Amino acid sequence: MTPLIWLLAALFLPLFPLSMLFNALLARVTHVWLRGLLLLVWPQVGLALLATTSQPLPDLVLPWATLTAALYALRALAMRDLGGWSGFIATSSWALLWIALWAGRDHAVVALYALGFSLPLLLLAQLGACLERRFGAAYTGVYGGLAQSLPRFSAILVLVVLAVVATPLFPAFASMLGMTIAIVPGSPATAVGMLLVWLLWTWAGARLLQGLIVGTADAHGGGDLGRAATWSYSALLGALVVAGVVSIGWQL
Amino acid sequence: MSISLGEKLRIRAMVYTAGEPIPYFWPMRSFIHHNPLHGLEDLPFADAVEAGQRLFRARTFLTRRVYQDYLRDGSVDVDTLAAGVARFLADRPGAPGIDLQARLMALLTAPADAADGVPGGGLARGDAVHAALHGERPDAADAMPRVAGRLHAELSHGRPLYEAADSLYGTKIGQELDELVIKSCLDFFDEGQSVWGMPGREQGFFNAWRALARRDARLSLRGLHVKRLLSNDDCPEAVIVHVLEVLQIPEAQWVAYFTRELARLHGWAGFVRWRASAPQYAWGRLYPADLVDYLAVRLTLALALLSERGPKDLPRSVPALSAQIETRTGEMFLRHELYSGGVLPAMARRIEQALARGRDSAIRGVFDAYLPAKVADQASRQVQRLRQLTGDTAALRALSPAQLDDLLDTLDAFERHEGMLWLRAMEAAAITRLLENVSLAPVQARDKRPFVQALFCIDTRSERIRRHLEGVGDYQTYGIAGFFGVPVSFIELGKGSETHLCPVLLTPKNLVLEMTASVPTGEALTALEKVTHELKESVLTPFVTVEAIGLLFGFDMIGKTLAPRSYNRWRRQLRQGKPSTHLLLDKLSREQADSVVRAVQRAVIAKAIEHEFKLAPEHVTDDMVRALREAAMGHQPDNAASQLLPGLDRKAEQAFVERLRTEYRINPAFAQLQLERLGRIGFSLDEQTRFVSQALQSIGLTGDFSRFVLLVGHGSTSENNPFESALDCGACGGNHGLVSARVLAQMANKPQVRRRLATQGIAIADDVWFVPALHDTTTDDITLVDLELLPPSHLVYLDRLKTGLIAAARLCAQERVPTLTIDQQPLDAAAAYFGARRNAMDWSQVRPEWGLSRNAYFVIGRRALTEQFALDGRAFLHSYDYRVDSKLRLLDNILTGPLVVGQWINMEHYFSTTDNERFGSGSKVYHNVAGRFGVMTGNLGDLRTGLPAQTVLNKGEPFHQPMRLITLIEAPFEHARRAVEGVVAVKRLVRNGWIRMIVLDPETSLVHIFAAGEWHSQSKAGFGADEELKRIGAI
Repeated sequence: MTPLIWLLAALFLPLFPLSMLFNALLARVTHVWLRGLLLLVWPQVGLALLATTSQPLPDLVLPWATLTAALYALRALAMRDLGGWSGFIATSSWALLWIALWAGRDHAVVALYALGFSLPLLLLAQLGACLERRFGAAYTGVYGGLAQSLPRFSAILVLVVLAVVATPLFPAFASMLGMTIAIVPGSPATAVGMLLVWLLWTWAGARLLQGLIVGTADAHGGGDLGRAATWSYSALLGALVVAGVVSIGWQL
Repeated sequence: MSISLGEKLRIRAMVYTAGEPIPYFWPMRSFIHHNPLHGLEDLPFADAVEAGQRLFRARTFLTRRVYQDYLRDGSVDVDTLAAGVARFLADRPGAPGIDLQARLMALLTAPADAADGVPGGGLARGDAVHAALHGERPDAADAMPRVAGRLHAELSHGRPLYEAADSLYGTKIGQELDELVIKSCLDFFDEGQSVWGMPGREQGFFNAWRALARRDARLSLRGLHVKRLLSNDDCPEAVIVHVLEVLQIPEAQWVAYFTRELARLHGWAGFVRWRASAPQYAWGRLYPADLVDYLAVRLTLALALLSERGPKDLPRSVPALSAQIETRTGEMFLRHELYSGGVLPAMARRIEQALARGRDSAIRGVFDAYLPAKVADQASRQVQRLRQLTGDTAALRALSPAQLDDLLDTLDAFERHEGMLWLRAMEAAAITRLLENVSLAPVQARDKRPFVQALFCIDTRSERIRRHLEGVGDYQTYGIAGFFGVPVSFIELGKGSETHLCPVLLTPKNLVLEMTASVPTGEALTALEKVTHELKESVLTPFVTVEAIGLLFGFDMIGKTLAPRSYNRWRRQLRQGKPSTHLLLDKLSREQADSVVRAVQRAVIAKAIEHEFKLAPEHVTDDMVRALREAAMGHQPDNAASQLLPGLDRKAEQAFVERLRTEYRINPAFAQLQLERLGRIGFSLDEQTRFVSQALQSIGLTGDFSRFVLLVGHGSTSENNPFESALDCGACGGNHGLVSARVLAQMANKPQVRRRLATQGIAIADDVWFVPALHDTTTDDITLVDLELLPPSHLVYLDRLKTGLIAAARLCAQERVPTLTIDQQPLDAAAAYFGARRNAMDWSQVRPEWGLSRNAYFVIGRRALTEQFALDGRAFLHSYDYRVDSKLRLLDNILTGPLVVGQWINMEHYFSTTDNERFGSGSKVYHNVAGRFGVMTGNLGDLRTGLPAQTVLNKGEPFHQPMRLITLIEAPFEHARRAVEGVVAVKRLVRNGWIRMIVLDPETSLVHIFAAGEWHSQSKAGFGADEELKRIGAI
């Protein structure tokens, strides 16, 4: 029974090649709230499945999870579609949750780690939907210069992408910090792999922003974020920072 | 592969021709304003800007919105604009039911967001637009035949192959190539910024690069195998031929191909081009390079990158590219859409996935879906454009597809033409304003001479200070080119190289040396600075230096930032000021030159003895030195000195004499060379008289000289500003003008010169004294120099003079400084003066002054013409009195030198404003000095050639109003016309419309303007309202 649970869990905490199913599903879901729900719930299902078995995870899971995370981080580097990019980063980060479980972290804690990864992705999905409404697609390198044409939107987008790539103070950073601390004693090599994956996320985030924010403004950018929407996003980001700071303190 | 001499020369000729449109780039130590499209001046202005736009991918006019702002503030003549539209429509088909004249005027003048059109070459033309207007879906089948043609037009026609590959496959070969070329250039052309220099630079750019590239690990790590490419060819010409043959570029296209390659990094190419044409440039003589070298390096790297980068099917030759477009049109179209930024965002991912999978059927399927969507999108945008034009959909619906096609053609052509219409209308307003305000009233006779006559540079910044100086007292001012008509090659005290103090069009024949009798002191501080420099510049010490003395630099930073004026004053006190100097201005006689050479030789021999035999100076006798010199020069046998050098045998003495000849260059040949060089020093009495006479006559100052005649050169003061020399005097080759002023003053104060001038009818009284001065254009201070030479009789007037100069400076600052502040609020004179001085010392100030920004006019005539008209620092004012120039010699000189320099300055400002990124140099904030001769944006980029944003833009909007130089000559028409037609360079500029030339005839009060290929006349009073002149586009 346990191997079957692990297999199912590998679908929800995506490990390659099962991760392809999640990304295919995410690509087909166009409704923004549904996408958000998927990003929020999907890893939690995997964690819930794993919580049903008390069998320790095999050592094989370490290289498998690390390689999956690295593969999707690398793919995110070349991905120009914001939705696809979110899916790859989600896959990459959720795969790392296996490592936390292998290292003996409590399931509830790991569920919080997953939440730390998912929440910024929810905001990014919302922002992607905004871009799709304005330009027909959220795609880098096709229309640039959002910093000029949509300055408020751009500022929020930059902060959200920073949150997604686990920049300090955000919850994803706390998740990465906690997982790294957990794995170092048991498998330092895996910790190094995780850090490299983290580096790739940052690079991918910079490329994403470069393709959207920088450059000459497109004449048909449409209106910028309204004042209320800007405040709402700012408040949510502020809440994420507070949550992140608390989590970091708790990790340390 | 080696090629024949003839073939080499042919390639060189091709590269030379290809390089002509690339503007020179002078090292920034002496910034030279130049026209970025100088190489296209053979073309009419409108054609040249179109060609320049294509070549440099740059904007050559402002946006419609900015012109509309000018229209609102009265800087545009709306009648001229309307006349321009009518002229444009005269040979265009009309559109039934649409008043195109009214609609185009409305389009121009009504503020609205510009519709994002697809001018020329779009896939949606008349049929598609017709369908879209009637609510139908356009038929994409009509567009299909245009797809391949559009791809050929976009990707071929002289465009580098890697650019085509980049826009089809998303590779970044062009970017990588530029980076590699820039790194190679930085290595080779470095002028002392790098601690470690590139080896083998004496062999020339290509050879040095070739030797290094064959073992360059950086290239190998990038996977570039240039060694194989370079091993086949031994000279740059052969490399160029080889690369073009591999790429299979037809020979007929080589020149165009070279030009496109050079234009990609036109700053570096312009620098290489200038360097190769400047034989006097020391670095160029040491490390030679030319455009053939540069192209050989560039093409080698381009071929290597094309071979190594991208997928297998990347086109690696021109025929391969054409074949791909013909056989895989759909795929190439999708690729081009995706990678050149034209793709419909909604389909971008689908296209990317189909292309990534590479299945023909999938690609075809996506293409079949994409093309109709693209055509519909373009049709909808065209409809939007047309609606914006007509404001009426019903009228558009009534048009047939063919009529819609015509209308779109008209609109496309109009948008291409629009810039010229705005430009002419702006110039018309400016010309009218000038002519309304200039005065032809006769000058009233004076009963006494003015207190001071002051000769200022024609620079636009002199206009303000002249106006204020005239306002504060009995001052009479004149405008003359800032080198005062004396081309000088100058060697400054303590410098070893010559600086040309004249417009770059001239090459000075005479050399002036600066000398001092003072003994330099302050070695301790100099040594300290040297040590600090060494610590900062060496390879390892910076790691320690930061820890050890970094804090000291912190204090320096705080001082410079928080109290720039006081801190800099204190720092200057630490430094030894420049001692009082004299200029060696008179020609040496043969005997004097011999004596100088002998003195130098004796000093060298004495030092050689001290150095080689460790003798104390007191043991080196004159006899010993004389004997050795005679021996070395061959005047005596080598052993003649044997008794004078104690402890040396005959053989050793002979060896020393030989060393004196070879190593210390004490020999007849070198002495002769030194004599020839000394022959360049100074001016003969005839030359001095001629220069003074010419300078005074050219401005009409031939009598009634004041007690003081100020010769005011100008320069600027700023901190931390690589563009400082751009603010100095253009007529002095980008240097400050004080030396030129001192040179002319020294000549004019000489009694022998004055006696000769008197015989020419220029009587200068004995109590007239020419005083050199420097106008600091950042602070507006005018500093008098060489006052120790002033006759005692003048000292009592000095205080009054200085008070007047300070008053003028304060008033000038009050007028000028508010334009430099953020809120642009008026300031009182004291605050403005303080602000100006702070600007000069503030290291964080990116805009110490506006320089020549907003220049628009060049007035050649008497001061009375513009005396009552505040030109706001927008005019070059050259004094001229046609009555003393019956032979046109003086006017010819003004047109040949100052006017051409003015036109360069004007065009530099024009294009730096219309496209600051391509023709200008962007924001100063991101600049880094490159190789000590230029600046780059960031750490790697093209040399920035034009003016920085802070000079021509204010808060992102143009501060400079880009217009062609409006030149007004006050002289009888026939007199001026003959001069203009007689100077070939100026005639070409006028005929091709690079200068707007106007002649104001004081004898008939008629205005003559050159437009549409001929001269047109009108009375001064009726000029601005002349409908005919507006109709033909003259105003």
